[in-house]
Amino acid sequence: MPSDVHPSRAALVISRLPSFSGLDAATLEAVARAASSRHYDAGQVIYLEGEPATALYVLETGWVKATRMTPDGREQALTFLRPVDIFGDIAVFTGTSYPGTVVALEDVEAWAIDAATFLDLTARHPQLALACIRRLAERVLYFIGLVEDLSLRSVETRLASTLLKHAEAREGRLIVPRRSWTTFDEMAVRLGTVRDVLSRALHTLEDEGLLKVERHEITLLDPQGLEKRGQI
Amino acid sequence: MMFPEADPTVDERLRDGILQALALDPRTLALDIRVGVLSGFAHLAGKVPSLELRTLTERIVSSVPGVRGVANRIEAPGAPSPARTVHLSPRDEWSPSRHE
Repeated sequence: MPSDVHPSRAALVISRLPSFSGLDAATLEAVARAASSRHYDAGQVIYLEGEPATALYVLETGWVKATRMTPDGREQALTFLRPVDIFGDIAVFTGTSYPGTVVALEDVEAWAIDAATFLDLTARHPQLALACIRRLAERVLYFIGLVEDLSLRSVETRLASTLLKHAEAREGRLIVPRRSWTTFDEMAVRLGTVRDVLSRALHTLEDEGLLKVERHEITLLDPQGLEKRGQI
Repeated sequence: MMFPEADPTVDERLRDGILQALALDPRTLALDIRVGVLSGFAHLAGKVPSLELRTLTERIVSSVPGVRGVANRIEAPGAPSPARTVHLSPRDEWSPSRHE
């Protein structure tokens, strides 16, 4: 790309993907040229599990959740993504249908890239292929952790470590803010359980003086104690 | 094992069957409905003008042989948010070979 040409908005967004940050300007622009902008209102479906994978997406603003139906018909969270991230790539590379359903939890701005075009770009730009491998490898590690979590750890343990992971320091307190979409059902789906079990786990941790559940946030009163519970 | 090993061929055939069923009914023919099928579960999205059409679409899809359950995320006036948590009661144990 000539140095006097400003990178497009899509190229800037794509360059903010951590695994894509090392791409040269020409590769970024090639990907950006293939991208078209999409808007989804909060609550809208971006794609469905089992739908043909026609595109992958780069998330510019807003949170999305990816879920999958278990054999017994329960919704299980695969991941919650916040900007900037990429999704839909697994199905594009495997040539299968989408393995999960992705919905917008907030108003979402995203960039869609046609599957065939993206595969062609990775064949022509080895740097891009390496960036994708990096991102996919990170996902493999994430899902290994998720399998370990769901199969080996109790709901209370998972809850304790998840709360610590999402905690923010605010006015001398450690809190987990509850977003508009963070309902009990959402939290339960994220932890691979149902709301009654989650509610009991929260009460247990609250009774032990580890946290306090409030309307708009959860205050972590004893982070060290929670950390211990998160390791059991 | 968390998830069954989906058989893409069976799911693709089931998806084709669902799309065909929706196309054969004059009430759903012109609707913009998106369909995904994985492990026998049908997933629906799109936008329809009424709750009745949303329910009708779900009924047509669930009557297609081989469909274990329907996760209905179709938008309609008065319908629940497509982003809500969906838990289904699958109709029966699913084995890909049973629906071939």
